[in-house]
Formats: sequence, C-alpha cells, structure tokens
Amino acid sequence: MADGGGVPAAVGHGVLQPADGCAFGDREWAFTFANYAQALTNPTYATLLWKSLKLAFWVTVWCVILGFPCAYILARMIKGRAREVLFLLVILPFWSNALVRVFSWAIVLRGNGVLDRAVNAISPWEVDLNLMFSDTAMVIGLVHSYLPYVILTTYLSLQAIDDTVIEAARSLGARFPRILWRLILPLAMPGLIAGAVLVFVPVVGSFMEPRLLGGRVGTTYGTLIEDQFVAVFNWPLGAALSFILLAVVLVILAAASPALRKATS
Amino acid sequence: MIRHAFARAYLGLILIFLYAPIVVMAVMSLNASEFYALPFRFSTEWYERLFTNDEILAAAWRSVWIAIVVAVIATCLGTMATLALWRHEFPGKRLLQALLFPPIAVPWLITGTAMLIFFFGVGIGRGTPAVILGHVALALPYVIVTVFARMQSFDRALEEAARSLGAQPLTVARKVILPHAAPGIIAGALFAFAVSFDQFVVSYFLAEPGDSTLPVLIYSAIRKGFTPEINAVSTLIILVSMAVMVLAARYAKFGGTR
Amino acid sequence: MKTILMTTALAFVAPMALADEIRVLNWQGYGTDLDWAIAAFTEATGHTVVHEYFTSEQEMLTKLRTNPGAYDVVLINSAFTPQAQSEGLIGPIDAAKVPNLADVDPALVANEDLNAGGALHGVPWTWGLTSFAVNTGDFPEAPTSVSVFWDPALKGRVSIRDDALEAVQFAALATGQNINNITDMEAVKAKLTELMPQIAAFWSAETDWNQNMAAGQFAVATYWSGSAARSMSEGLPVAFVVPEEGAIGWLDGLSIPASSTKQDAAYAFIDWMIAPDFYVKWEAEGAPATSNTAAAAALPEDSFNRKVLGDPATVARVQFMRPVPDDVRESYLALWQELKAAQ
Repeated sequence: MADGGGVPAAVGHGVLQPADGCAFGDREWAFTFANYAQALTNPTYATLLWKSLKLAFWVTVWCVILGFPCAYILARMIKGRAREVLFLLVILPFWSNALVRVFSWAIVLRGNGVLDRAVNAISPWEVDLNLMFSDTAMVIGLVHSYLPYVILTTYLSLQAIDDTVIEAARSLGARFPRILWRLILPLAMPGLIAGAVLVFVPVVGSFMEPRLLGGRVGTTYGTLIEDQFVAVFNWPLGAALSFILLAVVLVILAAASPALRKATS
Repeated sequence: MIRHAFARAYLGLILIFLYAPIVVMAVMSLNASEFYALPFRFSTEWYERLFTNDEILAAAWRSVWIAIVVAVIATCLGTMATLALWRHEFPGKRLLQALLFPPIAVPWLITGTAMLIFFFGVGIGRGTPAVILGHVALALPYVIVTVFARMQSFDRALEEAARSLGAQPLTVARKVILPHAAPGIIAGALFAFAVSFDQFVVSYFLAEPGDSTLPVLIYSAIRKGFTPEINAVSTLIILVSMAVMVLAARYAKFGGTR
Repeated sequence: MKTILMTTALAFVAPMALADEIRVLNWQGYGTDLDWAIAAFTEATGHTVVHEYFTSEQEMLTKLRTNPGAYDVVLINSAFTPQAQSEGLIGPIDAAKVPNLADVDPALVANEDLNAGGALHGVPWTWGLTSFAVNTGDFPEAPTSVSVFWDPALKGRVSIRDDALEAVQFAALATGQNINNITDMEAVKAKLTELMPQIAAFWSAETDWNQNMAAGQFAVATYWSGSAARSMSEGLPVAFVVPEEGAIGWLDGLSIPASSTKQDAAYAFIDWMIAPDFYVKWEAEGAPATSNTAAAAALPEDSFNRKVLGDPATVARVQFMRPVPDDVRESYLALWQELKAAQ
C-alpha cells in the first residue's frame, strides 16, 4: 500500500549508523541505539517536542472551529453550481508553493505591512499592528496551510447526510442547536476527525512556517530535525528524532482511538 | 434568510482568509520592488523577465505535468485501496490503516533520503519515474483518508438492494458506489495534485540534475533567494487552474448530489 | 541518400566530440550559473554547462560521495577542502591547465586548507567576509563596533543567521577571542544569552534578509559581504560594516572531483571563472572579492570590493575560518539549540 519502501528504510537510518556518523558512502554500518539515547535524554528536545505538540493542538482546534461552520454552510446551505465552484475555490490556493505563500503572509503580517496599513486606513486612531515574529503569526500561517483539509473532509461527511433525517428530527420538534449537537455533529464526525488528523500530524513536524513567521520564538521540534539534516548533516540523529516524533504521534492517535471510534460509530 | 446572509458572510470571510496570501502574491508579481517592499509601484518587469526565463518556465511546466500524472495514478490506486479497506475484513487491515499515517507524519526530508536509498537499492535510481513514484507514495494517504471519510456515510443497504435486483458487481460499483464516492475522489485528486505540485524534498533528492521542478528551483535558490518572477509564474498557474476549474464546474457535478 | 545522411550526421558529430557537457555543483546564483557567463563560455569553447545546486556544505559532500562521476566542477569552501580531499572526493589541480592561476594572489594559492594533502586541491576563486550590515535609515552613520547588536534601543530589530557555527564565532569575535580556537565558551554562551532577547528573527536566506531589511523589521543583521554588495547594487539602503572587533573570513575554491571524466572541459571552465573579464562583469552585479589580483586591479575605483575589502586595514582585522571538527561543530549546535529552545 502506501509507501512500503520508504518508511522501513528510514527507520534503518536511525538505528543503523555508519561508524563515523555519515549517512552515506562505503562505510561500515553498525547497529546502535546511541542516537535514540541522545535524542531521549536531551532536555532541549523534550521542551521543543512539547512546544510543537501544543502548537499542533491549537492549530487543529482553530482549523476545526473555523472549518466546521464553513463546511456546514457549503454542504447544507449552498446549492447547485455555486457549491461546485466554492468547493474548488477552497483548495485552489494550495496549487501554489508553500514558501511563496509564507512569504506572502510575512508581507501581510509585518509592521507597516498589508494588514497594518489596511487597519490604519479604516481605524479612526493610530494602531501599531505588527504580528510578525510571534506565536500568532505562526498559528495564522499554519491554520491557513491546513484549513482546507478540515473543510473538505468535513464537507464530504456533511454533504452525505440525508435531508429526510434532519426533516424528521425537525418535524419531531427538535430545535437547530439540538439537531446540530445530536444529529449533524455525530454524522460529520468521521470527516471532522479525518481532517483533524490530517492537520495535527503534519503540524507537529512543521518547520517552515515557524521558522519564517515565528522568528525568535519559532524554534520547534520540526526546525530541530531540519537542522540535523541541513546544518550538521547528523542524519542518524535526525532520523532518530523523527521516529520519536512519529512514535509520539502514533501513541496520541492510539490513545484517542477508542474515543474516536465511539464518536464515529 | 438572516441565517443565510450570515452564512454567506462567514463563507466570504473564510475565502478572504484563504486567498489573502494568494492575492498578495499576485499583487507582488506586479510590484516593481524586488524585495516585496511597500508601497506598491506597478511594473510588468517580472512577467517580462519570466517569459524569457526558460529555466523557470520549463520547471513550472514539469511540475504541472508531473502533478497531473501523480494525481491520476494516486487517485486510481487510492480509490481502489479505500474500497478494499472499506468493504472487506482481512488479516492485517488494522495495521495497513495505521501505516497510512507515517508517510504524512515522517518529515519529508527523511522520506526523501529513504526513497533515494530504496530506489537505488531496487535499481530504479534517480529520474522522473522515481520522482513520480515518490510523489504517488506521498499523495496516496491523502487520497485514501479523504475517500474513506466519504465512504463512511455510504448506506450499505443501497448496495444490497442493487444486488438483490440482479446487478452485477461491476455495475454496482459503477452505478452505486462510485457515484457516492465521487466527491471524495475528486477532493482526493485535488489534494494529490497539491501534494505533488508543492513537493520539494522528494523531487530534490530524486530528480536528475537539470530536471528541476518549480519547488526545487525555489528552495535551492535559498542562498540568493527568489525574485518576483516566482510570484508571476505562480499567479499564472493559479489563474489557469481557476479557469479550468470554473469550466469543469460548468460541465460536471462533483460536489455530490443528495 | 544514405551517404548524405551519414555525412550530415558526421558533420554534427565531429565538433560535438570535442565539446563536452560539464556538470557544476555550486550554490544557486553564485557566479558560475550566470546566463551570460555560460553563454560566453560555450561560445568560446564549445563546452556546455549544466548546474546542480546544494544548500549546505554537508549536502555538497554527500552529493559528491553518492554520485561519483556526476560532477566535473565543484565549489568548496576552504574549511571543507581538507575533508573532501581526505575522503578522496577531489583530485589535485594541474596548474599548467589553468593559465590564469598565474594572476591569482600567491597568498591564497598557498592557503593551507586548499593545499590539503600537500597539493593544491582547489583553485582560489572568491573570498569574502561574514560580518554585519545596518539599515542606513536607522544608521546615518555606520557603527564601528559589534556592540550595536546588544544596544537596548534596537531590541527586536536585530537578526543573526540561524547557524550555530556562525553564531558562536560571532560571539567569539564580540568577546575578543580567536574564532578558530575558542577557549572561553562560557563567555560565548553568556554573550549569546544576552543577545537572544534583542533578536527579532533568525534569518536563513538572502530573500528573507532582504525583505526584512527593506520592510524595516531589521535594523542590524549579520551578513555576507558578497550578499551585501548584491543587495546594495539592487538598491537596498544598507551599509556593510567590518567592526573594530574584526570579521570572519572565508575562501571559496573551485575543485575537480576525482571521478570527473571531462577534466579538460572542467579546467577550461575554472580558468574562465577566475579570469578578469568574467569577474569585472560579475562584480558590477554584486559579487564577493576575487582571488585574482589582475581582476581586482581592473575594478572601477568606487566598486564595493575595492572600497570595502580592498582596504588593508580592514583585511588585517579578518580572521579566516579553518576547518571545524565534527564534535566541535555538534557542541556548538547543542549550545545554539539550547539557546533557541529557551525562547
């Protein structure tokens, strides 16, 4: 199925370390857990992993909060061609380069940037709006990058709900909030969860948005891994860090799965 | 009706959010400043330079056709895999489903190097076939997760009904299952295109020198940096995609019918 | 008919046999891939040039190791030449095949690192400084000391590159130490810890450096001399500073991989690259300093490299970067990551 070869080979990266620490070349390969030991004992890594998990949590929460109503409106309140066009418009921004998009966000968010100028143009008093190089900028950039996943997967579930079910509930006297909570939300759950996973999982390892938008506070577990690959070329350690990340993500998904299964059944 | 007006306004705000950087990207392609500096001064310089820059044009074209090929392959394979996962119980199914997530979670740097080693190991080596295979592997989970989310809402009674009326399995697939899955498949294909089109690391590791895709060109310009020519080519691609999509929306229904 | 076809085919093949396609491994946008330079080289020699790029020295070494025979010319920073030489990745340079080498500064040709293994393994091509530049909007008068980085008035408008080695060596300069032999790491750590709250962002590429400088997000930031020259030539209001504490010097050489099968074409290309003709044109667009004294002498009086790097008093303050052992590099990275993670 998906990617049979890549992942096991990468696991090997972390464990089978060439004797002199280089990832390539005609060198002796030796089995070692030293990379994992180093990765697990360094407090810096734990700090950054926790920070990345928190970041991914908040990005996921924002994506769900913003994405669910959007998917609901698209699936249940808009009909015909308009819906078709909107469906496509949601994903179209992502047919562009992520780095270019992040640089564009920088132009929007920085002091004296697009947002600052726009707000000052309509605000009666002077506002100094510089969101650049902050947690806020990171979250905005990441939510933007991943929101369409939640919108589209949730849309797919919502759109499949049979109108007659909702009509029936309504005719029995249920009010909208109750229908939403007891009927629509549970039926939308598979899509919502799929979307949340597609957001949470990659955001934990994200490095580009944090690096370029987060500035001084933008050091994450993802940038740490990137450094091992790009700056020092300690690929075995980079691979070990990646697999610790993967393990943590899988543990979180496994821990959540009973709740998720209950929600989707 | 107030509810509808409110809903439309909300949708509008989300679209503004999604398109803010895209609009900025397009505007900056027409800004004279190489450093994206404000205030805006109109200039078509970047487009003029783009049209004489064979390297960027060739890379853009290569990115587009690779993304189309990847979207087609990943969507076909992904849809078939999803239907298998969704319909049948078989040993190891849980494991296979769990294995869908690592390709998303593992940083692409690792996947890229692992693929390089793997492709050399099995004798495929570097080159466009390897790039396409690598992209398909990365795009597949997105297709499967998306189509699977859609199939969760399928009423199996429909399939039973069709079958009890004497429909052959293929007819059932064509007339009952695929129409229901269609919006998910379309969404999956769009994701697959996006994943491939923006994929840097795998292309970087697996492409032959001189066969750069657009993301490779952009990222390897890290030391010198890129110019607004990149904005210009990105803007053109978005505009063409938009035109194609609007046409597609005119002649096909894929948002799903109720 | 067949004969005509054969003759036509031969007519095409014959000159092609002498013309090779060489593959050059370099940073993108770093001189060798300028359109006009390649076009002129192809016209003069018949050889064509294809580029492949790297984004870090370690990546360059990996590419040499994993793709033997793929490259004919490679740019290697002198601090990495000994490693490439000891691994057998590059071959010795035959001076007779590089006529322009006669004009190259003898001090650079004699560089200890380029002569790893007892023979010249890289033709000195360019050199430059890692120092800093200031926004002239904030500094009508350029500062003379690195202490501006710690100026409380500039809090949140300071940037250094996200690079452990560069950060540590920068702090070593600021604390008056030898960058190649840092004895007081505690002082370095303290100095960097003090710097952290001042910093807006860690820059990683010319693109974000230029944009943040143009937008006024940065007032002062570390930078490379060649990049500063390019930013200035493109109209960015910045000034490059070589402070009284000194600056980090680096030297880039062009080497020929031992596995290259097109050595003659590779030598021709290297000779072309160190020639004054090429350099003077490149310098006008913003380039690092040349190794070729004839090329340096041919520069206009007011050119950046002549004004800033041609000053002997400036050059006297430069500490040239030596190879850094892997364990030292990793200890710097650990310190750097610890400092960044604490933000």
